[in-house]
Amino acid sequence: MPEICPRCAHDTIDLLFASPVAEVWEVVRCARCQYCWRTSEPARRTERDAYPESFRMTAEAIANAPEVPSIPPSRVTP
Amino acid sequence: MPYDDLRSFLRVLDEQGQLLRVTDEVLPEPDVAAAANAVSRMGGSAPALYFDNIKGFTSARIAMNVHGSWANHALALGLPKETGTEEQIREFARRWDRFPVRPEWRDAPPWAENTMTGAEVDLFRVLPLIRLNDGDGGFYIDKAAVVSEDPDDPGNRGKQNVGIYRIQVKGPARLALQPVPMHDIALHLRKAEERGEDLPVAIAVGNDPVISIAAATPMRYDENEYELAGALRGAPAPIARAPLTGLPVPWGSEVVAEGVIEGRQREIEGPFGEFTGHYSGGRRLPVIRVDRVSYRTDPVFEHLYLGMPWTEIDYLIAANTCVPLYKQLKADFPEVRAVNATYTHGLVVIVSTAKRYGGFARAVGLRVLSTPHGLGYASTVIMVDEDVDPFNLPQVMWALSTKMNPSHDLITVPAMSVMELAPQAQPAGMVDKLIIDATTPVSPDNRGNYGNQVRDLPEAAAWLTRLQELAANR
Repeated sequence: MPEICPRCAHDTIDLLFASPVAEVWEVVRCARCQYCWRTSEPARRTERDAYPESFRMTAEAIANAPEVPSIPPSRVTP
Repeated sequence: MPYDDLRSFLRVLDEQGQLLRVTDEVLPEPDVAAAANAVSRMGGSAPALYFDNIKGFTSARIAMNVHGSWANHALALGLPKETGTEEQIREFARRWDRFPVRPEWRDAPPWAENTMTGAEVDLFRVLPLIRLNDGDGGFYIDKAAVVSEDPDDPGNRGKQNVGIYRIQVKGPARLALQPVPMHDIALHLRKAEERGEDLPVAIAVGNDPVISIAAATPMRYDENEYELAGALRGAPAPIARAPLTGLPVPWGSEVVAEGVIEGRQREIEGPFGEFTGHYSGGRRLPVIRVDRVSYRTDPVFEHLYLGMPWTEIDYLIAANTCVPLYKQLKADFPEVRAVNATYTHGLVVIVSTAKRYGGFARAVGLRVLSTPHGLGYASTVIMVDEDVDPFNLPQVMWALSTKMNPSHDLITVPAMSVMELAPQAQPAGMVDKLIIDATTPVSPDNRGNYGNQVRDLPEAAAWLTRLQELAANR
């Protein structure tokens, strides 16, 4: 299992799926930014050092990401 | 002969030399997406691709680029693969006149062969999910037909929706979906959220080719996509009731996933390389909980690569963007001759029209902005004369070169709505729109020094035929 997320450097990574042919690859997901990758992908997608600067995501960017579409006012009377 | 499922269309693509089977072992990434990226550089007769030997999988099957050329688009409509682009669009418009054709309920859908429910749902076990572009936030399903109903008017067939939306797979039974506010599913979700409810959805993956074309068509809110599919096929579209939600789904789908968009929830999603040729940024989007999956044995994952245009999506949203705009404009202004909205889903629209009087063409251009599709697209509208073919870009450039004087012919409409994926928007979702009037002024508009336009000689058409015959018989 990878130790950090290549995109946001978070250190909690969850296993989503393992290859049907044993031990070829795993699909994993960052618990914070939800980035999902297969361990057999090129380094530019899987390793923090090689992950392009322009695709990186910070905790602040995740927290401040715009909401699309915005949640409408409720019609339900409390 | 209409196709009832993806597999029958793949067979025809194969017979017609339009399906390339990649039998060597390939990596899930980057090979499948890179090949689909590359095949779209082969031009208007590019084949579909079929992969069945993908490293780490045992029974994966992926079909890419199924609609990704004019040849494949023609075959999808049951036309000869050599049919030209404009002829395909004209034929599409003729078939639209048969709308609506009611769908036909059919028993025993092939996707009922296998089922996962509740905690056993695992989309990774059903579909060979892959990444498309480097910066994508994960693995996407981007060619599925998503079915939903109007929560305020359930059972109203017209207000049902079948649409294609980008879907990020976030977990074995958890998805994110992008409802662009101008699209019908966003209206359904808004109503559900106002009511404090979840929105039931059925996601049909791997479909007969006309379902995908109808689902990608910007129809009016109260028009039913299956009824358009019937008109395009020349026979009712076969549908079946999805077992959990009761929603009408294509009878022939490979996979049907059912669940709900969870009301009033948003989660980080993306980025994703979009049809604009740019990545959307990371945003908080609605999430789907999948409660049931039904699937054919060894399903074919029909998937779509999109990137810098043109790629498959540009063929999938070309003819079907032109025709509804043409029909809607023509209804008010019979002078309209043709509409070319094949570029980036109609972010640019080129309209040819005759003129009633000075100022008429620009008024038609303004009308484009207030069509349902124009609310989210049509950031630039180019108006050309009735003798300019809007699909012939050299002619359009000639019109821009000679018929357009910026002092009068650029009409900017400030602060208009546009779908927020438009990279030029400022802020996202707002843009100044532009009408370029490249038509010849007519009375009482007497600007310019047009005099007489040079026209093809009356004998030229006969000479063209004669020369073509001479050339063919050399």
